[in-house]
Amino acid sequence: MSNIASTNLSRRTVLAGTGALGLASLIYPARRAQAAGSILKVRSYSDIQILDPAFRLAAPEGDITNVIFAGLVVATAGDKWGWRPMAVETIEQLDPLTISFKLRDGIGFTDGFGQMTAEDVKFSIERIADPKNESPYSGDWETLKEVEVKDKLSGLIHLKEAFAPLWTSTLPTPSSTILSKRAVTEAGGKLGVEPVAQSGPYLLKEWLPKQRTVLVRNPDWKYEQGGYDEIHIHPIEDEKTAELGYEAGDLDYTWTSVSSISRLKENPPADTTVVEKPSLAFVWFGMNKAVAPFDNPDVRRAVQYAVDRKAVVDAAYFGAASTSTGIIAPGLIGHREKNLYDYDPDKAREMIEAAGVSGQTVVLDILNKTERLTAAQVIQANLQDVGLNVEIKQNDSGTFWTLGSKDNEYHKKLQMVVQRFSMQPDPSWATEWFTSSQIGTWNWESFDSEEFDKLVVEGKIELDDAKRDVMYKKMQDLMEESGCYVFLTHEVAGVMYRNSVAAALKPNGEPVFAEFKPA
Amino acid sequence: MLRYALKRLGLGIIIVSVAMMMLFAMVYVIPGDPASVALGPRATQEMVESLRARMGLDQPIWIQFARFYMSAFRGDLGTEVLSGRPVLTVVLEQLPFTLTLIAGAISWSVLLGIPLGCIAAVKRGGFVDRVIGVLSVAVIAVPSFVIAIYSLLIFAVALQWLPAIGAGEPGNVISQLRHLILPSLAVGLGWVGYIARIVRASMLETLEASHIRTARAFGLTDRRITYSYALRIAVLPTITLLGVGIGHMLSSSVFAEIVFARPGIGKLVYEAISVRNYPIVTGAVLVTTVFFVVVNVIADIVIGALDPRVRASFD
Repeated sequence: MSNIASTNLSRRTVLAGTGALGLASLIYPARRAQAAGSILKVRSYSDIQILDPAFRLAAPEGDITNVIFAGLVVATAGDKWGWRPMAVETIEQLDPLTISFKLRDGIGFTDGFGQMTAEDVKFSIERIADPKNESPYSGDWETLKEVEVKDKLSGLIHLKEAFAPLWTSTLPTPSSTILSKRAVTEAGGKLGVEPVAQSGPYLLKEWLPKQRTVLVRNPDWKYEQGGYDEIHIHPIEDEKTAELGYEAGDLDYTWTSVSSISRLKENPPADTTVVEKPSLAFVWFGMNKAVAPFDNPDVRRAVQYAVDRKAVVDAAYFGAASTSTGIIAPGLIGHREKNLYDYDPDKAREMIEAAGVSGQTVVLDILNKTERLTAAQVIQANLQDVGLNVEIKQNDSGTFWTLGSKDNEYHKKLQMVVQRFSMQPDPSWATEWFTSSQIGTWNWESFDSEEFDKLVVEGKIELDDAKRDVMYKKMQDLMEESGCYVFLTHEVAGVMYRNSVAAALKPNGEPVFAEFKPA
Repeated sequence: MLRYALKRLGLGIIIVSVAMMMLFAMVYVIPGDPASVALGPRATQEMVESLRARMGLDQPIWIQFARFYMSAFRGDLGTEVLSGRPVLTVVLEQLPFTLTLIAGAISWSVLLGIPLGCIAAVKRGGFVDRVIGVLSVAVIAVPSFVIAIYSLLIFAVALQWLPAIGAGEPGNVISQLRHLILPSLAVGLGWVGYIARIVRASMLETLEASHIRTARAFGLTDRRITYSYALRIAVLPTITLLGVGIGHMLSSSVFAEIVFARPGIGKLVYEAISVRNYPIVTGAVLVTTVFFVVVNVIADIVIGALDPRVRASFD
């Protein structure tokens, strides 16, 4: 007792010491907290809301449904767009209107829903195609006639017309996912966020809203095995936050912001590979020909000449992205080699003067994102230089995406817009938004061309790649000749991952989780 | 006291009702169609119309208004249309994360603010007092998102002492505490300054009070007078301050939840607004408003119970 007294160990000292130790125990290098190497931690840009392939809302949901449900085929990683069989042993196009398939024998659904059969294939595909079911992906099967069941494992997919995007943007996507007919029927016709009857190489083990989704290896999957025991998917909306999370050691793979690509490539975080991938997205500056002064074709052409596209793209994307020649990215059928009209400010100035609109103020609507604002500011300076004043109007996403809708009175006033769409690796995905039937929906420039509309229909049913190439180039020529469009860029996608991870990425940088492996 | 408490409660109900009215009006004031935003570009006009009908947006305003009030008073905040999940479930899943964050922020502000204010008062006019004064004003002036980003860069990225994202492993208290340190610091640091200033001012006033002089006359030590007598009275204003401060912390938590990729009500509402997911926005804001009002009513009742002058002034 006397010894204790001699050390002056008071109650206050003990409490303070315990508190300090407790605090110190919380602060230790974050890397030590990481789990074993059989867990892959990745970022997705949004949380899941629905895990029904027919009603998926965003790409991260597709990434998950692609591994927890077996599709007929699945997209592969690599520098070229491709696919490999997943649920099928064989799949073959017998003629332009018929595809035969034979399922692998022994793919089972979880939760006691038995073996996957051709009847499930028929149910799943016809369910998406049937307009009554209101799947936003019904267009993926727009020429489907029926799926014929031949026996327990094989069948025929019959089309009413040939469908060129079938092998590029329908079959290798969640639109070919096979669900259990009995499970979906028992669930009331639609799956929610808690999937039943899973069948893929991974199973959804846990979903913590806004925190993470945990996938675990499916012990019953007998085919191509995933490289990790578990995949933890963290929904992080903000790219900069994801980058910091990666740099802090909390993630093994993430997309980066475009603005960070140069910095990360020059000075990558430790043990990291930074990859730059060409994106399929397309960004353009549009003018609405239904609204003055852009109802005058000379004004539209003058603006096409006025915009220094390279300056716009360099400023908006920090030099990381290149200018585009149209809406179809390099490497795809229909990609054009050059533009028809390019930067010529003197010509633009003359045309603006001649059209009598010099000094007028026009409004440019944009989504409130940094790169769009920068692009808009350079366009503003370009147009100011040739005699047009530009007022930039920033909109939040909820407002922006309805500006050109016929349900919104503003569409009658919409003059100019900087717009971005993303697409699947088939040119038909790029062009279908610009038909005259899309005016008041997604065609905000009121571009109307009978020839274009006809080519859009023909492009989907033409199976000859060379002929399609000519058709889609012609469609972009028509768009540019209308004066409504200034094609800016396809952007670029930045991805980084640990050197200990062999990342499996599609040509545009999207992940194929099932193919990720330890390096 | 009962009359006082009932009046505070009545005022709280009025505030919640007005908030509900504003929430309902929001659907019509803010541009953007929730159905088309939710379904995305590939949806047909028929699908958009169908979803609008399921969301009840095709009904006359007065019917929607009546449904909204009646459902809310029954505790039914509706269903999230796309996922089919009950809004109340979605909101209550996220609420504990925000409450934990605010509790952490309050802990920082109380544990640091009260001692600093106390020391500043005891060392009045000296170097320590001046340093604490400058620091207090500095942390009040710096926005919470700046603190969030810098603390993340220093402690998570550069030093790698603490995690940068998430809320920690479920069921692992140590992991959850580690994930709470930086976000709660970001939200609470500004309040350290407020509380230090309030406690200092209150302490100086209390130290001049007659009962403290009497205690000194009785020969009690300065330490005992300061911490056992003066501080107990001086901390009372912090209860009021924190009651109001919780509202401010709720708004600051939005930044912290986004920067640290934490789940929580702030992030839920932020994301729901961007896609015009009105059932989630109205549900989350309503629950938060009720929480804020309840906390303030409790704070008012506690203060009223402790200080008869407050009860009298209300009468």
